[in-house]
Amino acid sequence: MAAKKETYTEAVRKLEAIVGRIERNELDIDELGDNLKEAQRLIKFCREKLYKADNEIKKMLGTDENMEKSSN
Amino acid sequence: MEHSSLSLQELNALVRKSVRACLPGPYWVQAELSEVRANYSGHCYLEFVQKDPHSNALLAKARGIVWGNVYARIRPFFEKETGQAFGPGIKVLVQVTPDFHELYGYSLTVTDIDPAYTLGDMARRRREILRRLEEEGVLTLNKELEMPEFVQRIAVISSETAAGYGDFCNQLLHNPFGFQFYVRLFPAVMQGDRVETSVISALDAVNAQLDCWDVVVIIRGGGAVSDLAGFDTYHLAANCAQFPLPVITGIGHERDDTVLDLVAHTRVKTPTAAAEYLIARQQQAARHLEDCADSLVREVPLLLEKQKELLDKWLVRIPTKVLMNLKNASAFLDKLQSKLYGNCRALIIREEYRLRVHARLSAALAVCMQREVHRLALMEQQVKAASPQHLLERGYSLTLKDGKAVTDASMLRPGDELTTRVAKGEFKSKVL
Repeated sequence: MAAKKETYTEAVRKLEAIVGRIERNELDIDELGDNLKEAQRLIKFCREKLYKADNEIKKMLGTDENMEKSSN
Repeated sequence: MEHSSLSLQELNALVRKSVRACLPGPYWVQAELSEVRANYSGHCYLEFVQKDPHSNALLAKARGIVWGNVYARIRPFFEKETGQAFGPGIKVLVQVTPDFHELYGYSLTVTDIDPAYTLGDMARRRREILRRLEEEGVLTLNKELEMPEFVQRIAVISSETAAGYGDFCNQLLHNPFGFQFYVRLFPAVMQGDRVETSVISALDAVNAQLDCWDVVVIIRGGGAVSDLAGFDTYHLAANCAQFPLPVITGIGHERDDTVLDLVAHTRVKTPTAAAEYLIARQQQAARHLEDCADSLVREVPLLLEKQKELLDKWLVRIPTKVLMNLKNASAFLDKLQSKLYGNCRALIIREEYRLRVHARLSAALAVCMQREVHRLALMEQQVKAASPQHLLERGYSLTLKDGKAVTDASMLRPGDELTTRVAKGEFKSKVL
């Protein structure tokens, strides 16, 4: 379960690193393509973590189904 | 022997009168409440004690009573001022009038209360607990924990029936940004004297699944200000201070912070504020993420644009260079061409001149030749005219002696052989 926390934080760190290198012009055109792809993957991953429900986590945590049902 | 006696009632009446007379009161008294019982009539029956501060042994005890109308006034006043329920265990400063009743005995009638004393005592007790926690080096442990940037899995310690919990969940699960949260309740009693043990076992339950959670939120509905004593205990505070996850408290009151509030990582006023805090944190994470994405969207085209500009610059310079080279070459060729042209014309002119000279020469030569030819012809004629043959044909003859022409007759001797050449042929003769 700890892996989940690390993954989001790790992902953001990696993303920051890529953005940093682009802003400081440290990437040449050849590396740009691969790094962009990786950045897009990281962004998608992070957005999903933020907004999409992960059913596995829900199950594992036994989160309050009742609350959710009643709120729906 | 007969003693003069009183009835019990008479004696008690005497005591009552004495008490009334000697101790008319009212007196402000510091005491601890050991029992508080309000009945349907609205009156409140108390027991006051005084304990030895070191041994906790009872030093004094007295019953007390607060009449309904007084109780109705002072109790809400007290609870509002202190954030503390008027109940057993607290130290109070009350205004009392001692009374002795024949039947009910000694009691103190309460007419007023000074909440500042209780507050002061509460504050003192809190300070005590805080000092102890600081000595043990645990006071700031929870505050020193790093609240993770991404907080999504929330362990809530609250009561199922607490309105605060319902609102909290609702806010999180229906937040306007669409953030995903995972919330689980670890139920506990949030008021009364079971708060300490109940919340501690809830914390233990969370501790058993530490990897599953990002934070612990301890919340309780606002509403009536009451009974926060449970959150002011040493054990609860020590537990929370040393808890391995950041603890957020929102136990819904406006009063001074309880000890639990003071050791928690983050303290907010209400469960709603706790939900807002968590949502705001995710907002920050989301904003950070979108800033990175925006940076890429902004920077990458800039980078490509810069490269393109560089290329274009080079591209522009190349034709210019090439053009310049071409121009230079062209100019060079032109120069050569004109030189060549010039030279050719010069040559042609020279040749032309030569040809003209040649013509003149030829002409002159022809004339010369003609003259010579003429002269030669003339000379030929003259030669012909002067030729011996011509003479011979005119009748003359040539006499040769030994091949030599004889010009002198005296030179001849008789017998000399002579050859005579005439126009046609020759004949030999001898001299006589």
